[in-house]
Amino acid sequence: MMNMASPEMLHCLSTSGNVAGNGTDMTVFERQRVRMKWQQEQFQQQQQQQQQSYFGGNEFSMFSMGGQVGQAQQFHGLINGDSAGVGDLLGRAVKADPGLENVWPEFGKLTMPGTGFNVENAGFESAGILNCSGFEMNHTTSRTSSCPLAAAEAKVRESVLPEKIASAVGRESFKKRKADKVQSPKVVAEEETKDKRIKGYAEDGESKITEANNNKNSTTTTTTTATTTTTNNNNRETSADTSKVSEVQKPDYIHVRARRGQATDSHSLAERVRREKISERMKYLQDLVPGCNKITGKAGMLDEIINYVQSLQRQVEFLSMKLAAVNPRLDFNIDNFLAKEVFPACAANFPTIGMSSEMTNPSYLHYDPIQQVATCGVEMGINPAEIALRRTISAPVSIPDTFLDSCFTQIQPSSTWDADLPNLYGPEFHQGRLMSFPSQAAFTGPIDASNLKMEM
Amino acid sequence: MRPPTSLKKEFLKKWIMGLQLCSSSKKEMSFLERKKAIKLSADVAMASARNATTRWSRALISNASKDDSNKELVECILGPESESLKRASMSLVLCNKRNRSKKILRKSCSIRRARKSSSQMVMASSIAKRLVKKRTQVLKSLIPGGGSMSEFSLIEETLDYILSLRAQVDVMRHLANATELLNRK
Repeated sequence: MMNMASPEMLHCLSTSGNVAGNGTDMTVFERQRVRMKWQQEQFQQQQQQQQQSYFGGNEFSMFSMGGQVGQAQQFHGLINGDSAGVGDLLGRAVKADPGLENVWPEFGKLTMPGTGFNVENAGFESAGILNCSGFEMNHTTSRTSSCPLAAAEAKVRESVLPEKIASAVGRESFKKRKADKVQSPKVVAEEETKDKRIKGYAEDGESKITEANNNKNSTTTTTTTATTTTTNNNNRETSADTSKVSEVQKPDYIHVRARRGQATDSHSLAERVRREKISERMKYLQDLVPGCNKITGKAGMLDEIINYVQSLQRQVEFLSMKLAAVNPRLDFNIDNFLAKEVFPACAANFPTIGMSSEMTNPSYLHYDPIQQVATCGVEMGINPAEIALRRTISAPVSIPDTFLDSCFTQIQPSSTWDADLPNLYGPEFHQGRLMSFPSQAAFTGPIDASNLKMEM
Repeated sequence: MRPPTSLKKEFLKKWIMGLQLCSSSKKEMSFLERKKAIKLSADVAMASARNATTRWSRALISNASKDDSNKELVECILGPESESLKRASMSLVLCNKRNRSKKILRKSCSIRRARKSSSQMVMASSIAKRLVKKRTQVLKSLIPGGGSMSEFSLIEETLDYILSLRAQVDVMRHLANATELLNRK
């Protein structure tokens, strides 16, 4: 098997320091390490060539691909996939979140943290591998913590047939170690899928390992939507702990690598893709629903979500009742707000009730400097907008958007909270009140009783 | 995460519009009537703020416009796009009916299947699955128009719905407080 006695390989082998065990014998392990070094060199060579247009993690993919390519070129059909397997282990691509809608822009890129799992575990001289910036594989450390074993069984790595790279259709890659599974299958699947945020759904199409594949050729893509492409290879029996990587190269295809020991037909793959999508959404829900961070199970999460939705709906009911009680005639007449001088600071700026909305803008601009504090005021500060709104509605004038913007984005000095508290804040009504705004952020809680008491 | 202020703005606009319409049409309303009107206009305003991009909003609008008494209110709030929105909502309703009949058929088959396997040992995974299924059913009943959604779209709709509800609650709360303060004076 070891016909790949290229000078560099031998050189690598001789210089490899961490070879466990036999120094001279070319055990599979050592061979693998040699190959790793070889790949490193290849990678470094190719690193300059290939464009780093992806996130840092892509260097990994580049590396693994580069290694593969190099190998394929050099060692036709003679390469056992050990290094490829390891490369794939390392080659967790970064998942960038497609960012579903503009509503959730912050659910941006999720980089997979992955630290030097190789160095400690595999004992490989993979320092070069870790050069990938910002690429961590923390989620894989749990799985790859058993990597020493993986290294041991590296000998049984999948067979890398370079040709297979080009014709990967529904090949499986790595087996999921049973030892790591201590939870129920579903939770594990979730955890896994959650860890593998390697989905480049839709828009952004992350660079994944198969991106590098793309460089070679796109024959890897098949017509099914759930084709599996293995960057290195396909194998049914490998022992790596890698989990699957799915990505979107082009909008049409979702590339999924099947796990070892699982069916490779399109149905189960599609099923898995679907499950991953679902768990991804559940993750968003976790961020949205308060108190969901600790819960990992789907059922528990659903429970929390149900409770939250029910509580929100109940709140709406309660508030509408309250509004009905407070408003005997359902007239939300904004003029009253001004007339009664609920907003004394505003009153100074609105000398006449019939002031046009455009003129109110400058008054709000006065409070621009405090805008940072206004972030909490955004929630509270609907009132001036309401005022303006109703005023303009009672006088049928269309609401200029600019005015609304200024209302909503600026701190609301005329907050009703402060309306009754001039005495508390003393002469520096404007300044003091604005400064104390953050303290009033707590008023936005669902319980307004305390707030009302303050105004007594 | 905070609901975007643009959402709140739109909601407020439409809501006030609807309320004004309500108050102008009837002179004396009982407490419950008022509450209903408030809640209705708030819901419809919320749904229309989404411009029928989400299923739940369409379902909500179609449910609201089924009732004749609410129709004008809905139309007013929806504004110019009301016709297209209504058409979208109607189509959704038809789809729902079709899906529902399909699901009933499927369920009757699966019940027969389940009985055969009930004698087997109950596994933890099946329990978990049952739990999840039950909860999804509950969630579907909560989200307007959720009966015909797949699991994935249900989660997406829930996300959107939660955001909108949050915005709605925020705006309503502020309005309520403002009016309360006003009355206090």
